[in-house]
Amino acid sequence: MVDATTRFFEDLDRRGFEPLLAKTAGTLRFDLHEGAQTTHWLLQIDRGNLQVRQEDREADTVVGTAPRLFGELVTGQENAIAALLRGDMTVSGDLRLVLQIERLFPGPPDTRGPHHPFRTEAF
Amino acid sequence: MADTNTVRILDGNTFVVSEDTGDIEATPTEPTGLFSIDTRFLSRWVLTVNGERLNALSYDDLQYYEARFFLVPGMATHYVDAKLSIIRERAVGGSFRETLTILNHDEKAVDLEIRMEAGSDFADLFQVKDEILNKKGEIYAEAERDRLRLGYRRGNFRRETIISSSQPARYDRGGFAYTIHLEPNEQWDTAIDVQTVAIGPGGRDLRMGLRAHGIERVALQRDLEEWIRKAPKVNSEHGQVCSTYRRSLVDLAALRFSPLSLGGQTLPAAGLPWFMTMFGRDSILTCLQVLPFAPDMSKTTLRILGALQGTRFDDFRDEDPGRILHEMRYGETAAFEEQPHSPYYGSVDATPLFVVLLDEYEKWTGDVALVKELERECRAALHWVDHYADLVGNGYIWYERRNTDTGLENQCWKDSWDSISYSDGTLPPFPRATCEVQGYAYDAKMRAARLAREFWDDPTYADQLEREAAALKERFNRDWWVPGGGFYALGLDPNGRQCDVLSSNIGHLLWSGIVDEDRAGQIAAHLVGPRLWSGWGVRTLAEGEVRYNPIGYHNGTIWPFDNSFIAWGLRRYGFAEEAATIANGILDAAGYFDGRLPEAFGGYQRELTKFPVEYPTACSPQAWSTGTPLLLLRTMLGLEPHEGHLAVDPRLPVGMGRIEVLDIPGRWGRVDAFARGRLDLHNLAG
Repeated sequence: MVDATTRFFEDLDRRGFEPLLAKTAGTLRFDLHEGAQTTHWLLQIDRGNLQVRQEDREADTVVGTAPRLFGELVTGQENAIAALLRGDMTVSGDLRLVLQIERLFPGPPDTRGPHHPFRTEAF
Repeated sequence: MADTNTVRILDGNTFVVSEDTGDIEATPTEPTGLFSIDTRFLSRWVLTVNGERLNALSYDDLQYYEARFFLVPGMATHYVDAKLSIIRERAVGGSFRETLTILNHDEKAVDLEIRMEAGSDFADLFQVKDEILNKKGEIYAEAERDRLRLGYRRGNFRRETIISSSQPARYDRGGFAYTIHLEPNEQWDTAIDVQTVAIGPGGRDLRMGLRAHGIERVALQRDLEEWIRKAPKVNSEHGQVCSTYRRSLVDLAALRFSPLSLGGQTLPAAGLPWFMTMFGRDSILTCLQVLPFAPDMSKTTLRILGALQGTRFDDFRDEDPGRILHEMRYGETAAFEEQPHSPYYGSVDATPLFVVLLDEYEKWTGDVALVKELERECRAALHWVDHYADLVGNGYIWYERRNTDTGLENQCWKDSWDSISYSDGTLPPFPRATCEVQGYAYDAKMRAARLAREFWDDPTYADQLEREAAALKERFNRDWWVPGGGFYALGLDPNGRQCDVLSSNIGHLLWSGIVDEDRAGQIAAHLVGPRLWSGWGVRTLAEGEVRYNPIGYHNGTIWPFDNSFIAWGLRRYGFAEEAATIANGILDAAGYFDGRLPEAFGGYQRELTKFPVEYPTACSPQAWSTGTPLLLLRTMLGLEPHEGHLAVDPRLPVGMGRIEVLDIPGRWGRVDAFARGRLDLHNLAG
């Protein structure tokens, strides 16, 4: 079975274009550290056009986390900005890129969204 | 907080609040300290000479980022005969620096033991008014040969205060000390540097890549001069207008805040000291107030709020797709999700106001590129208005927090718990809707229609928005009008029952243009009538309402910012004299605060108190109070961008004399506006 992180990046790569990133350009490298082992994901954004590779190459922004936390971020169980403030996620380089990517992460799985209890009556 | 005898200096979101001696001894009632990124980095900073505390002769807050204290040993007596003087000079700019100078005025040599007690509780800004007993992490202090390191660790969350000195000092875990010998008339000094550090794993500072740490005082001075040089000049026969304008400009400079994610660009933070952060509502309203004087702030604000616009549903943060954020915080409680400010989205007005600001900004600057850049964000904001905010399904913006532990109950600008009520004083159930927000939604649609037609090449969308706006206006005038009172209800409950109290919110409706022409006269009369008008300004809630209290936070006090938008609204509907009355009252009040309007002051009748009574816990300077005199100037001078030009249509009260505003920036380049006071206000109100 493919893990959530792989699914997230494969989905980005397949999507090819993400309108939320249409004003964004740059490269991000995600270094997922587990003991001595580090998995690298490289995301290239060119005005919304996305390309994902599993490479350890120089990037505008480097994000470091544990693989488990990253899996929780891409499934909405954890929030990236809180993780960053907590020091559980580190960023070097251009922080703005992280804040743009963060918006692609889903909300918490148990979130209900706005409830419209009166709507059924009104319609 | 009460600011008796406290001295504050700041740069961005680093600031120091101390006693008038420069000492810091934080307690829940005296929340002094050195703060940065919403964390207290020093809660104790006490200077002694030979074991004695010092007494303040005077202090100067030289600029917003620096202050100087003149001290002598011993406590105050009616006669000070000191042989020593101590000068503390301090500045913030990234880090905190203090220079100590000791002068011996005696004819004999002296031996002195100089000691600074230093400590930190690393309180989150949200905890400074509480007794902090159970910090979840570990506080530590390490005395090294050349520095004192105070720290706090909770998991990977680490904050450190690092203190060093230009003169060699003896460091211990509770402070540092010097032993010195001074000959007659000799002087000694040392420069103390206090670094605030937010360290992630790997020892890297959270704020790296932000603007340079430790900005030099010279650079801050140059930046302030440049800021004032770029702003229009105001000349007036009424001396107070000039000094109030100048005060506002300097305070606005002080309130500029550079969020972590913006690479050094600035937007207005909400207020010193507790609100030095991004607030959607406060930043947008302040930008609107100061547009004729400092248009660049709007661009930055729109960009950052657009970049952080909601994209998903998150109940803890009250986030929805398209929603504009309410508040961002960087402290421990946000980091560990004990508070939802990472960021929190619980406001219903910031989203339509975002669209309003973009349109107003374009009218002044002609910056079409930004209108195109933010098209997607505007559409998402309007989509939020129609789909996610309409909780009752009847075409209005409603609110009901989904975060019931730490979210905001009232998500309009009057956000205290008891601000929205029926005329019998009881509070309505949720969801609630307030009137001014419906006005903003109307205005946002009308303005977005212009943007869609002129810049987004989408006349179909423009037509649709105008149809929706017209329908909203009709609906609103039917559902919200209180026939017996001749005004609009403050709010609606989910069953359609009106919160039928007379409030200042009706003035915002004029500003938005949602008021039917034939009702505007009644609204204007209420605003300068005996129940709302105090002589200084318009009360948040009218005298005679059950919950009216002249010092009730949103139930009777007067908010300068509120009044500035009301004045703008009055002018929009042609009530120039009423607008001038408000401008006159608020600017008179400013005179009692040295030109620095507080967040709010008491709603007492002007004749009763003779001076405006400051609301006890008001925050000062506060961004939208600081912006108030600027919007009032715009309103009195009738400055309005019109078909690429700046129209000027002044209506000033007689007492204002002549006012000129020179070099108003905009799409026209720079132009001047002149006005002379001719309006006699006595017939109107008083």
